[in-house]
Amino acid sequence: MSKNAAQWSAPPKFPASHYVDSRIYTDQQIFDEEKEKLFRPAWVIACHESELAAAYDYRLFTHPAGVPLIIVRGDDQKVRAFYNICPHRGNTILYDPAGNAKRMTCIFHQWAYDTRGNCVEITRGEQGYQDRFCKEDAALREARCEVAFGGFVWVNVTDDAPALREYVGGSLDILEPYMEQPMEVFHFHKSLVRTNFKLWHDTNSEFYHDFLHYFNRITGMMQPGYYERKYTPFANGHATVGSMQIQYDKYEGSKERAVGWPGMARGGWYMVDLFPGMTYNLRTSVLRIDTSVPVGPNQVLIEFRGLGLKSDTAEERAQRVFDHNMIWGPFGRNLHEDLLGVTGQGRALRQGTDSRYLLHGREENSTIHDEVGMRHYYAEWSRRMGRPAYDPYREGKERAAA
Amino acid sequence: MSKSEQRQAIEELVYRSCLALDARDYQAFLSLCEPDFRYTVTTHSPEIRREMVWLDHDRKGMETLFANLPRHNSDHSPITRHATVYTVTANGKAAEVISALQVFRTQLDGGATELFAVGRFHDTVRLDTVKLAKRVVRLETRQLGYGHHIPF
Repeated sequence: MSKNAAQWSAPPKFPASHYVDSRIYTDQQIFDEEKEKLFRPAWVIACHESELAAAYDYRLFTHPAGVPLIIVRGDDQKVRAFYNICPHRGNTILYDPAGNAKRMTCIFHQWAYDTRGNCVEITRGEQGYQDRFCKEDAALREARCEVAFGGFVWVNVTDDAPALREYVGGSLDILEPYMEQPMEVFHFHKSLVRTNFKLWHDTNSEFYHDFLHYFNRITGMMQPGYYERKYTPFANGHATVGSMQIQYDKYEGSKERAVGWPGMARGGWYMVDLFPGMTYNLRTSVLRIDTSVPVGPNQVLIEFRGLGLKSDTAEERAQRVFDHNMIWGPFGRNLHEDLLGVTGQGRALRQGTDSRYLLHGREENSTIHDEVGMRHYYAEWSRRMGRPAYDPYREGKERAAA
Repeated sequence: MSKSEQRQAIEELVYRSCLALDARDYQAFLSLCEPDFRYTVTTHSPEIRREMVWLDHDRKGMETLFANLPRHNSDHSPITRHATVYTVTANGKAAEVISALQVFRTQLDGGATELFAVGRFHDTVRLDTVKLAKRVVRLETRQLGYGHHIPF
């Protein structure tokens, strides 16, 4: 039987931890708070060390909190992060997304900086500032930066936030054995999608939507071991998904992945979802990294990376690229389906559509179709936001449900 | 075949390939391709400063791709390819053909059209059969929103 307005608006018959109010995906105020409370204190992956192979190599990254960053490898090989904002008149210092710059020179008035953040040139400084302002006064703002967990460059724009290892906790332990060899990025693309960033993370945090993917149904869901994969929650909202043996040869045109991953069982597949919007996805021959940069309540820019091993032969690399593209490239079978799915959510949930709740109610002993991954995420979201995800405006929804 | 007739035939081949894919008439597209046809989508990433391959199939791989697509969930918005043949350089038994490519996507609901991608076709055409031996789609556009299942 269909529902009338009152029934549609009533909280679901679940514990409050098992659903969320859809306004957390659409409200501008909540979105602004998320940038400050979730992203600004978080450690975020800006790029991979292979994108900064040589001294003076740099890479630009827009931090999800909004800060434009320069990630640069110094003359001492140390990777540092600075605001890409000239302290003089607030101009962008570097424009190209990547390059090599021994001196980082602002085009506006030619103030220049070295790769340690020191100002090394103020044009006509003495004439204009006399002894009132000098190069030491014009250093760049440095953000915290560490290379870790597979050679990824992590940044944090909050000086007193917990250390990276404390933030990640044990969530990446499951992948550590497979990230000992140096890796290299071979694929990068961005997708600007009309949906909320959390909906993309949700998609990475639940496998029940394998029904969306013909490829995953054939190679995974219908194969032994699929329903034994388990979620493991970690502190700070992170979660991992255990492995199984994917039967790639069950999909027409695909075959067992000949190029595997050192130490990983044949056809293996591990995932780690990191709060508030990153995912490690090691699927047999390729590591995919998703980094979400929220743009608005209903818009997210997702950075996708594909990585192989630095030691790959040309043939091995070509096979990894092929494997990656079949499901995860911009023309890949699964990525298009996933992005289409969350775009549909964005369309149905946008303000004014009278959407009410999203269910996270599946309980299957934390196995692959259990929605514990999302429940765990929103428990952390609620804690950090100071708002319950099921009742973000504290309108008494839980009591109504009871 | 005179040079102008040859050029005309090659241009028509490029345009027919667009019409066939626009119509999702994969058999018609494959009929324009040699048995050893190879199709590749490439682009350069200024972000990671690398050449990238986004799709790479031989003819059999293309046939399998086309056969599998109906089993997948895809965006159903029509895609319109607009090609303009720029240069045809005959080289013995084959011609190297460079064409500008623009791809437009039209929303099913309301019919709004947006520019989806720009790039170039780099085709190798066999002159005796006037069929495609190789197509490299060189994309300038790298941000494709929620992506697409059907090659350009």
